[in-house]
Amino acid sequence: MKLKHVVALTSIALAGTFAVSAQAEWKPSGQVNVVVHTGPGGGTDAFGRAILTALEKDKVLENTYIVQNKTGGGSTAAVNYLGEKAGDTNTIAIYSSVWVTDSLVQAEAKSTILDLTPIANLVLEPALFAVKADSPYKTLKDFTDAAKANPGKLKQSGGSVTARDAVVRNVLMKNTGADWAFVSFPSGGERVSALLGGHVDIMMIEPSEAGELIRAGRLRALAQVADARIPGFPDVPTLKEAGFDVPNVPQARGIVGPPNMPADAVKYYEALFAKAAKSEGYTKYLADTQLDNKYMDSKTLGAFIKEYQGNLRTILTGAGVKVVR
Amino acid sequence: MLDGVYGLIHGFSVALQPSVLLWCVVGCFLGTIIGILPGLGPAATIAILLPLTFNMDPTGGIIMLAGIYYGAKYGGSTTSILLNMPGEASSVASCIDGYQMARKGRAGAALGIAAIASFVAGTFGIVILTLLAPPLAEFALRFSSPEFFALMVVGLSLVVLLAGDSKLKSLLSLIVGLWLTSIGTDLFTGQSRFTFGYSELVGGVEFMVIAVGVYAIAEVMSSVAAGEKTQLLPVPRGLRNYLPSREELKACRFAFVNGSIVGFFIGMLPGAASSVSSFVAYGIEKAVSKRKELFGKGAPEGLAAPEGANNADSSGAMLPLLTFGIPAGGSTAIMLSALILWGFRPGPLLIVESPDLFWGLVASMYIGNVVLLIMNLPLVPLFAQILRIPLGLLFPMILGVSIVGAYAVSGNLFDVTSLAFFGVLGYVMVLLGFPTAPLILGFVLGDSMERALRQSLSMSGGDPMILIDRPIAATFLVIALLILLSPLVGRLRRARSDVVTAP
Repeated sequence: MKLKHVVALTSIALAGTFAVSAQAEWKPSGQVNVVVHTGPGGGTDAFGRAILTALEKDKVLENTYIVQNKTGGGSTAAVNYLGEKAGDTNTIAIYSSVWVTDSLVQAEAKSTILDLTPIANLVLEPALFAVKADSPYKTLKDFTDAAKANPGKLKQSGGSVTARDAVVRNVLMKNTGADWAFVSFPSGGERVSALLGGHVDIMMIEPSEAGELIRAGRLRALAQVADARIPGFPDVPTLKEAGFDVPNVPQARGIVGPPNMPADAVKYYEALFAKAAKSEGYTKYLADTQLDNKYMDSKTLGAFIKEYQGNLRTILTGAGVKVVR
Repeated sequence: MLDGVYGLIHGFSVALQPSVLLWCVVGCFLGTIIGILPGLGPAATIAILLPLTFNMDPTGGIIMLAGIYYGAKYGGSTTSILLNMPGEASSVASCIDGYQMARKGRAGAALGIAAIASFVAGTFGIVILTLLAPPLAEFALRFSSPEFFALMVVGLSLVVLLAGDSKLKSLLSLIVGLWLTSIGTDLFTGQSRFTFGYSELVGGVEFMVIAVGVYAIAEVMSSVAAGEKTQLLPVPRGLRNYLPSREELKACRFAFVNGSIVGFFIGMLPGAASSVSSFVAYGIEKAVSKRKELFGKGAPEGLAAPEGANNADSSGAMLPLLTFGIPAGGSTAIMLSALILWGFRPGPLLIVESPDLFWGLVASMYIGNVVLLIMNLPLVPLFAQILRIPLGLLFPMILGVSIVGAYAVSGNLFDVTSLAFFGVLGYVMVLLGFPTAPLILGFVLGDSMERALRQSLSMSGGDPMILIDRPIAATFLVIALLILLSPLVGRLRRARSDVVTAP
């Protein structure tokens, strides 16, 4: 009995100390791990290393931030890993849209993005619909009209069936009644090569990837998948402006934490990335790569992810993809 | 072509500046080291070092990163030859004959041949890159999924030639490889296949885990099981005995050409892994050889072909990167993002707008290959001393490095378990006389082949004629057919000579 009391008292005392130190501003001690789902050189990995380098230079970071690659199953290995780190305050991760889709279609996922703690959104990624420069299609409508006249004959190169380019294709096909083929390639390089070689007719491409090929007269941009025109392409209409009344399918990257991350830690990282969004090197990097600097706080990001997953579930089910959750 | 020569002269004036030259040497040195360590690949190293390069002059920076990339191909063969443990995915094919050479006491010669083949093919690749970059880049664009599929069929048909004594056992081994490669998420439907509910399998099985398991771990197990019978591998004395003999180099003549061309050609196609080019070069080498029976038993040309191919492959991969801004794989992808971070605009106009960078990089690759040859040849006797380590120490070392390597690939403990599984699988295969090369080849080619087939069919709306309608694809399919028929031709010829010599 006595021992139990001592333990209870000590734990109350300890809890008290923690409460006091939490009131004083919480800061991570030691190294912070930043989990990404791609291997070194992959999209999110390169993005993560670049922004951390920029933030280090901007003197925003107060600790050492180390990128940790947890690859496998799209994002599934990374999300599972975070699930095991529940409550940890020194692990954060860069989520991307594939984290939202993967948990919808992969039955093996032990944790999903909804179990994780939203911290802050960083960017929205615009995209362009592009064709070869000598293509007969001058507008996206030219393309959808031709696809409608020859169902299944025209081809789009893209990623997996659950990737955003496949989702936007489904949305557009539904909107116009046109039908064209979707050819999946695992890497962006193969997708562009297929377009440049004339093996497919159209592609949804990142602005930074397309910019140089357009400037060199190899590709032509038809429309942009964004809410508003991006600075690098002032003359290219958005989907809405081009006459397609479809919901914008956003693609986002941001910071999430393991499940049940303590509130004071969330607060700290939220503030850190709010500061980051205004820092010089970071904003310049986003401008150079034509990413849309879109900070959202923890609460807004949580709601954004929920809504996004709901929309995706509807679209994927409509496209005949088996959804498991 | 003349533009290339003028450009190159300008390039050398950039690359020979002392500070730039220093970064080239640093890159080559780092590449050699990480090439030796399995698990730590060039892509990971380049990504980790990226932040350091931001305070450097960009030309020096990219030259160092490129040095790491092609330098790793040199280092990767060292442990393949000495320990049957591939240091990189691209040097798995080098295990087959390289390790057998070492077992026969020709470890030094094997290391020497690997370095020379790498130098010859690497340099060949850069010469082609210098002279023919723009037209070749246009040609590569004509290559799409149907052509790729046909190329993979050529690769797979080479299994017939890789087969050991039993065609049936080779076929079974191949089928297991094809099955292993189908584990994971299907790109085309988003559904997972053969994951048995393990989330770790959703991304498929890591190639390096299979290769290190089936080769290195299985080899350690067989040696331990053999017990006292195993002795230290013979290590020659005297520097002269470390270098390849005249006969060995002569046997490699065709392999140098084969590795150079096959490696460069496959390297410039985005999406083809460098393990593909080394295996295809190995297969071709065996296909045309007059002494097929020596392959797998320590034929020097069986080492020279894949080693050459994986180096020419890295020059080939620079072609789409520098001419279109298209990365051919992980390492070139991170070099591309480095160029963007530095403010360059990789794309068709790079050569015109940033000639210092373009030609400086190309020139540095000539220098880098010389540096690597100089760095690697004198190290040969030193590396060969590894074989003097008592087996009681060497085996735990190999196991340790393999386990750390497997963990480093993905940061998942599951991969360490898989490594043990594939080690046992490889050991059982050796015990039962199943060749392991067809399994690895099936794993390497199966995935790309399935993808290319399904891409082709989505392009044609399901019409299989797309595979034979296109001239390049058709040519490859004919070559595959010839390869498949070649053993028959041999048998016919033998039958005829039997008839002739019969009394």
